[in-house]
Amino acid sequence: MSAEFVPTGIATADVPPGGLVVADVRGTRIAIANVGGTYYAFDDTCTHQQCSLADGDLAGNTVTCMCHGAEFDVRTGEVLAPPAPSPVKVYRIRVEAGALQIEVG
Amino acid sequence: MSAHVIVGASMAGATAAITLREEGAGAITVIGGEPEAPYERPPLSKAYLRGEVTFDSALVRPAAFYAEHDIKTMLGVRAVRIDTTERFVELEDRRRVPYDTVLIATGGRNRRLSIPGADLAGIYGLRTVHDADRVREAMVSGRRAVVVGMGFIGSEVAASLRKKGLEVTAIDPGRTPLFRVFGEDVGRSIAELHRAHGVRTIFEDTVAAFEGDGHVASVLTRGGLRLECDFVVAGVGIEPAVEITDGSGIGVDNGVIVDEFLETNINGIFAAGDVANQYHRLFRRYIRLEHWQNAVRQGAAAAHNMLGHRSSYQEIPWFWSDQYDLNLQYVGFHTTWDQMVVRGRLDAGNYLACYINNGRVDAAVGLNRARDIRRILPLIRSRASVDLNRLQDESVDLRSQALFASN
Repeated sequence: MSAEFVPTGIATADVPPGGLVVADVRGTRIAIANVGGTYYAFDDTCTHQQCSLADGDLAGNTVTCMCHGAEFDVRTGEVLAPPAPSPVKVYRIRVEAGALQIEVG
Repeated sequence: MSAHVIVGASMAGATAAITLREEGAGAITVIGGEPEAPYERPPLSKAYLRGEVTFDSALVRPAAFYAEHDIKTMLGVRAVRIDTTERFVELEDRRRVPYDTVLIATGGRNRRLSIPGADLAGIYGLRTVHDADRVREAMVSGRRAVVVGMGFIGSEVAASLRKKGLEVTAIDPGRTPLFRVFGEDVGRSIAELHRAHGVRTIFEDTVAAFEGDGHVASVLTRGGLRLECDFVVAGVGIEPAVEITDGSGIGVDNGVIVDEFLETNINGIFAAGDVANQYHRLFRRYIRLEHWQNAVRQGAAAAHNMLGHRSSYQEIPWFWSDQYDLNLQYVGFHTTWDQMVVRGRLDAGNYLACYINNGRVDAAVGLNRARDIRRILPLIRSRASVDLNRLQDESVDLRSQALFASN
C-alpha cells in the first residue's frame, strides 16, 4: 500500500500554538504539536513506559513526557533526554481546508 | 592523551563514559564488578521484575556500543584501590590501570539484616539484575511473600508481587510506608493504596528473626507475630560503596564527599551517583541521593568537569516511583519541614504535597500530579518565599507570580 494523507479528525483550531493534542488515526494514537504555527505529528506513545506524549509539556520543539521526563524533538522524533530508549516515529502532516492530515502507509 | 578511568559500570559511570566520548576525551576505561554491560536499575523492581521487559531493554546502551565508541570496558572485575601518588587504579586481580582522572561511581550495596536466620535460603535483597532474577524465580502466583521495609524498593516490589498474583505481607518500623521521608499524611495515603491492592500491612513493628529449616518458612516480629511465607524480599536501604577509597586519602562521610564540581578533596578524582555526597549550593548542604536522574545528571556533569571544565552541579533532585497504576514523583530536597501545604486531596490519591521551611518550598511529592511536579520546580529553584494560602489554592497556577509572597 502506498503512502497517503488521511484525516486526523483534528482541526488547526484545535491545536493552539504551544499546544498538543492526540488523534486516533486508524487505531494508532498520534500526537500533534503546534510549534509557532507549524504542525508536527508523531507517535503519542512514549517509547519508555507507554505514557501519552500529548499529556506532556511542549516547549519550543521539545516535548517532555510527564511520566518520567523523557524528551523528544517533535520535528524528528529524536530522543533528547532519557530514559526513552528509542525515537518516536514522526509523520508528514498537512493542512487541508483547516483540517490536519497525516501521511500513513 | 589523557586517561579517564571510571570505577563502577553503573548508570552514573556509563553516562560519564558516553559524555566523555561525546566531548572528545582521550582514553576511557570503565571498570565494573558486575559482569553485565551497564544497565538501568529502575525496571528491576517493576517491569523487569514482572517479566514485562527484557534485560536488553534495560541496558544503558547496547553491549557492543562501548567497543564501537572506543570505550574500554573491564567487567566482572572489581577495582579495589586507588593509588593517588602513583596514579593508578588497582583491580582485584592485581592489574593496574593508570589514570589522569578518576570517577568513582560505585553506587551502593544493600544493607543486610543482622538477625537470627538472616542467612536462610529464600531471603532476597534487590540491587542487581542477579538479585532480580532470583526474586523472579520465586515469584510464582499464589505464593506468600513477606516484604521487609516499605521504602521505595519495598513499596515497588510489593506492588509488583501483587500484580503477579502473590500474597503479600509488608512490614515496616515506621507508622506508614516512607514515613521518615514523607511524613504520616502522605505515608498513610500510600499505605491505603497498598491495602486497597490487597497487601497486608504491618507498621510500627520489625523483624526479630527468620525461621525455617534451611529455607525461610516464617518471619517472627518483635511484636510477636509469626508470618508464614515462601520467601522474603528485604528492602532496608543501601550503604554507599566507598571501599575503593581505603588508604587513598579521599574524604568519606556518608559516601564520597565531593564539592559542587563533583570533585573530591584529591585533585582529578571525582564521584557521582548513589555513592557521592555532594555539596549542593542551592540547598546549602551536602546531599547524597539514590535515584536515577541524579546518577544520569551527575555522571554527565562529572565527565564534563573531568575534562577541565568547572561547572557547578545544581540540578534540582527529581525522582519517580511507579506503584500499581499510580505515578508518584518527587522534586526538590527536604529532610524536615515546618509546614506542609497540600493541593488536592490526600485521601483521594491525587495531590501535590509541598514541604515548606521558613515559607519556602523545599520539595514536593505528587501522586498522579506529574504536571504539577514539573511546574513547581522553578518555584523550588527560586528559593523564594511563597504565599502559602495561594499555594494551597488549586485555582492559582503553579507558574503564577501571585505565588510569591509580597515583601
